[in-house]
Amino acid sequence: MADERTDTDWVAIERSPEFQELTRKKRAFVVPATIFFMAWYFGFIFLTGYAPDFMGRQFITDGLTVGYVLALTQFVMTWVLGAMYVRRANRVWDPLAARVRESVEGVPAADGTGPTTRFRRGELVTDQQEEVPQR
Amino acid sequence: MTFIASVNGTALAVFAGVVGVTMIITYVASKRISTATDFWAAGRALTGPQNGLAIAGDYMSAASFLGIAGLIFVFGFDGFLYCVGFLVAFLAVLFLLAEQMRNAGKYTFADVLAYRLKQPPARAAAALGTLSVVAFYLIAQMVGAGVLIEALVGISFPWAVILTGAFMVTYIVVGGMLATSWVQIIKAVLMLTCGIVLTVWVLSRIGWNPVDLFRDARSNSSDGEAYLQPGLFLSTPLDTVSLGLGLVLGTAGLPHILMRFFTVPTAKAARKSVIWAMFLIGAFYLMTTALGFGGRAILGQAGEKAVGETGNLAVPTLAQELGGDLLLAIVAGVAFATILAVVAGLVISASGAVAHDVWSNIVRRNRDSEGEEIWVAKIAAFAIGAIAIGIAILGGATLNVSFMVGLAFAVAASANFPALLLSLTWRRFNTTGAVVGVLFGVISSVALVVISPTVWPGPDSEGGALSWYSLANPGIISIPLGFIGCFLGTMLVRERSAEAKFDELKVRSETGLGAYPATGTTLTGGTGRRRAAAAATATMVPPV
Repeated sequence: MADERTDTDWVAIERSPEFQELTRKKRAFVVPATIFFMAWYFGFIFLTGYAPDFMGRQFITDGLTVGYVLALTQFVMTWVLGAMYVRRANRVWDPLAARVRESVEGVPAADGTGPTTRFRRGELVTDQQEEVPQR
Repeated sequence: MTFIASVNGTALAVFAGVVGVTMIITYVASKRISTATDFWAAGRALTGPQNGLAIAGDYMSAASFLGIAGLIFVFGFDGFLYCVGFLVAFLAVLFLLAEQMRNAGKYTFADVLAYRLKQPPARAAAALGTLSVVAFYLIAQMVGAGVLIEALVGISFPWAVILTGAFMVTYIVVGGMLATSWVQIIKAVLMLTCGIVLTVWVLSRIGWNPVDLFRDARSNSSDGEAYLQPGLFLSTPLDTVSLGLGLVLGTAGLPHILMRFFTVPTAKAARKSVIWAMFLIGAFYLMTTALGFGGRAILGQAGEKAVGETGNLAVPTLAQELGGDLLLAIVAGVAFATILAVVAGLVISASGAVAHDVWSNIVRRNRDSEGEEIWVAKIAAFAIGAIAIGIAILGGATLNVSFMVGLAFAVAASANFPALLLSLTWRRFNTTGAVVGVLFGVISSVALVVISPTVWPGPDSEGGALSWYSLANPGIISIPLGFIGCFLGTMLVRERSAEAKFDELKVRSETGLGAYPATGTTLTGGTGRRRAAAAATATMVPPV
């Protein structure tokens, strides 16, 4: 377990519009992408198992089979979906996650009165064993 | 295999080089590690690309370097199916687990699995899953190392196994995860370079047209057209589907791969490392086309004898045909480095399960010191290494290597993956569910393999095949059983505390709130602390 943030109201954070937006946007990519890659992958696996003749058919040129070309599409799919995930994560989800963290950790106010935070019930309690890097 | 005697000297020199470099790294690392975070998570200061290379080095075992090309050489298309499954599996890791591991975990995947559950039983279940996977995987690699070194260098099997085990334990006991990571990074670079050289060489031989690989391989195979079709190795359709399922979900339950996500400073770096690993691993698996089909095209029917029944020596034999004894020696050295990097990764994850999960959390109830935890980990690494050496020597060549790797993936997919996934996604999930699910997964996958035709090969073998059960790969039954176990166990009891902590785990795993920061320990040192601090600031992970 990481530090004990006994003071933090996790349920409230979970229900906050910032966090809900993050999970909603992330789910909107991850769920369909997972369904797609599973379907494409198992389509390939089922064809390999149950339609070996089809997979052995010539594709465009002699020697190149439908099976091998479909296998190559799995490589392309993995790379493209991976790249799409990272692009969305960097551009959309990371800033949203940062907003959630800021709303909890607080950002120092301009007049130097220190961080203002929501979701806090009391003093921060930690049992962290690790050294904290100096910023 | 006539080349054994002639290659001995050169191969030994290459082996010595590999061992020498890794030992220097281990020595340097030993000067830098002081905390448990250094020991198990390399100070959480690896960069994304570094960890991507390390994941590739951790993941691609001798089964990838030699085994898959061998399967393609002998059975054609079916061998390539493994490449597809092993690669696509990383999408599951990226989408469902990589960042969540980094955000909510500390040293082992049990940290995340047990986060909101009752610590002792949940960690015991995770440790059982970890140790089962590692046991099968590790012994497979040790036997593979013994067979390979005996064939390529001429050191006898028991000594080859003992040497491999001794180096592996040294990396961990002396240099921890920092040394292990860099051994894996170097191995990945060596393996990819070796793959590129061989691929270019093969293509130059056949006239640069990749399709000629298939045409020439087909004309050199007694199976003709069938060589380019599925069915020579995987002849039962349901078995093919079962294997495919185990491959794609198994990776997401491999403890040594999940552990790698604790070695980077942020979730962003964890994500980046998976992308790097995907491209590196995919690139290598593409090259197995040239190594496997190309091997068949160049070595021809005559090569069948030299590569052995399962084709494990296809790549070394091809290397000798192309570049003579020197290239053969280099390939042998790279194969040795490959095995060392994988077994070191396996043992450090097992030592984490024993020391961090069982000893520190269950036996000592978190009252032990960090120093004690590291000591227990080192003793555990030593003991696990000794046991693996013993079993590998006793079992010897009678243990089927690919069957044991398949079993490791099946256990990972059936026991670890369901519990981990449900812990992160299902609010109602609880301790009983985790324990029952892991038990269902481990027991069913092991039992199904024990009664499978791999163990009872056919009517003419003693005992005979079981007529009512013919699956070689247990995944299609054991993975659903793992999920059913999680579900049934959960429904048995209501655990309000686990449900109450779901929001906390969800918020932490998705945002990185309160995640463990990097300590800044790097192999080169110096700028490490500043770099880690900069990384933490850049992505705004709060050092709370």
